[in-house]
Amino acid sequence: MTSPNITSTDSMRHVVIPVAAVLAVLGIALSSSGYVVTLIGFAAIYGVFCTGLNFFMGYTGQASFGQNAFAALGGYGSAILTANYYWDPVLALLVSMVLSGVIAAAVGYPTLRLRGHYLAMATFALGLITYEISIEWNSLTQGYMGLSGIPPLGIGKYELVSEKHQLVVLTLVMLVGVWVSVRLRDSRFGRALRAIAGSEAAANALGINVARYKLAAFVVAAVYASVAGSLFAHFVGFISPEVFGASMVILSFTMLYLGGVGTTWGPIIGALIVSLLPEVLRGLKEMQDVVYSVVLIAILIFAPRGLSGLSVLFPRKQTGQTKQAEKNA
Amino acid sequence: MLKRLLTLAVAGGTLMLATADAGAQTYKIGGSLGLTGYAATNDRAWRDGMQIAADYINAKGGVLGKKVELFIEDNRSEPQEAVVGYRKMMSNDNVQIFDSGCVSAGNFAAAGAVTRASIPMMLCSILPQRPEEQKWAFSVLPPPRFEIETRYRYLKEKTQIRKVGIIHDPTPYANMMKDLGVKIAADFGIEVTVVESYKPDDADMSIQINRIKSSGAGAIIKMGQGGSTVTAAKNIKQLGLDDILLMASLDDGAVFKQAGEALGERFIYVAPGVQIPDAVPAGPAKDAMEQFLKLWREKYGDRDANAGTRAWDSMMLIFTAVEKAKSFEGPAVRDALESISNYQGAFTTFNFSADQHMGITQNPFMIGVVRNGQMVAVK
Repeated sequence: MTSPNITSTDSMRHVVIPVAAVLAVLGIALSSSGYVVTLIGFAAIYGVFCTGLNFFMGYTGQASFGQNAFAALGGYGSAILTANYYWDPVLALLVSMVLSGVIAAAVGYPTLRLRGHYLAMATFALGLITYEISIEWNSLTQGYMGLSGIPPLGIGKYELVSEKHQLVVLTLVMLVGVWVSVRLRDSRFGRALRAIAGSEAAANALGINVARYKLAAFVVAAVYASVAGSLFAHFVGFISPEVFGASMVILSFTMLYLGGVGTTWGPIIGALIVSLLPEVLRGLKEMQDVVYSVVLIAILIFAPRGLSGLSVLFPRKQTGQTKQAEKNA
Repeated sequence: MLKRLLTLAVAGGTLMLATADAGAQTYKIGGSLGLTGYAATNDRAWRDGMQIAADYINAKGGVLGKKVELFIEDNRSEPQEAVVGYRKMMSNDNVQIFDSGCVSAGNFAAAGAVTRASIPMMLCSILPQRPEEQKWAFSVLPPPRFEIETRYRYLKEKTQIRKVGIIHDPTPYANMMKDLGVKIAADFGIEVTVVESYKPDDADMSIQINRIKSSGAGAIIKMGQGGSTVTAAKNIKQLGLDDILLMASLDDGAVFKQAGEALGERFIYVAPGVQIPDAVPAGPAKDAMEQFLKLWREKYGDRDANAGTRAWDSMMLIFTAVEKAKSFEGPAVRDALESISNYQGAFTTFNFSADQHMGITQNPFMIGVVRNGQMVAVK
């Protein structure tokens, strides 16, 4: 296997246009009200979360309904370390990230021996257990009372007090997250994951240690989820168990499948659409949920590969280089 | 296509500008309410109470000459939704004060941003935890100790029961009540034999109830609202426990009536006067209550008025503060709210001060039972 040749047209389609679109959305948000900043901020956080989930579900072809557990670990880790122990937010985020990775490895080792529905059920249980712990461990999490007084992101004495400054950082973190996921996907490691997604038995026959690679993908997804949880805590300044409940799982799955599971920018598109759509429909009051659901179903019917799959409607311009490459192939 | 989009954008922009202009002539009150989700029963009644108050004041010409305009956003009983709703009301609708429902986590999550914007908040929930946020928040929720004291006093004065078991849900209010319930039991000569917990959506509580019974308790002190009270009552009946009382928290009348159907007069609850109006003696309290109940019944018949009454009071307190401050500005209204004392509301009397942002300072509760399908006070 070799890495795909990246032509200038590919680079335009896969990098320049999406990044320009992200920066355009950021620009619109920065020139808008605090309401829009908040919405786009949440979309960026979910973008990070879904990019990690996409790594495990899209690239590796596994099911996980329990990534909210690691978002909770990241969120509570950052909240407790910064609000109670006055740690620097970046340090707290990194420590929470490492902790989530270690716990994901410990939990994933036995869990990932399961396949299909059984794996899905086991990961779902993981999310439920974490949710219950966050409610019941009152002395640490304060249960439903939640944790407040979480400082905004910052380093040392420099704090990003303004929401717009925070949004810029959230967007950068999201773009870095996408970049890292692309680099991993196109590496030897990523190709092994895609082989597992195609057929575990075939991947095994090729000499790929399936269990180890699945575990590694699970840990990577957990680290992304942890970062998203930490970013949420610093962006809002408050967390409680409901934030990391079953609704987070449902929301992230909707984002992933709406945007396009297994694609680079699909999770980001999904996060943006699912965050903005309810607000566009807010004026419909009681009919909001009905119309929202109809729109989602329509998108999934007419774009079953997700919104990013619609890029096939814009066929690639055939350059001499690509024509030659296709001829050689 | 592009032309259509541009036309739509221009039309939308024009509409927004027109709305903003019209909005400047009104006093804008925002409310983040759990119209769906676990808080729906309470917060829908809260919304309706707010609307009655707004209609009432507008019919009288408004407050300081301005009509009141309500902006209600459904937070789905979720903190993240609440943050989005609050931000919308602050930056798009330019609300000048909040009067929000009982989703504590939602109000806490938004409290930082609301405080930074110097906007006062009147809340159905408990106050946020941080002192700087408490400075801008006011609550019309009865402090938890009143509910507990009323039940313990009843047991002490009217029964021989001296051992009780507590069962509570994990909400902040119920947790506070549970801690207090354990702490002050001895003051009433009562022993808490066991503390059990449940989830609001639990379909069965037989195990917890059996444990409480086994501990020797003669009464179950339930802390938490909603259908779980009916579940507990039905479980007690199914288990054949004929010699144990179920004592419930403040809740909607519909819940009380269903639980009362299952257990009869062994189901006992705490209620404010507005839930049992016949038990309130004539006087200013009764007059204030009847003034609201007349408007409520015209619109909603015999629907329970508990949450709606507090919403009405919260709005009237805001109007009183605005008139006192002679200003709509957040800091001025906040200061005026702090200066309101002995305000006779429909629910009870309210007293605020710089150190007292939980407005209910006198116990408003009585003990009630369900008799022939009606809520009546126990003498």
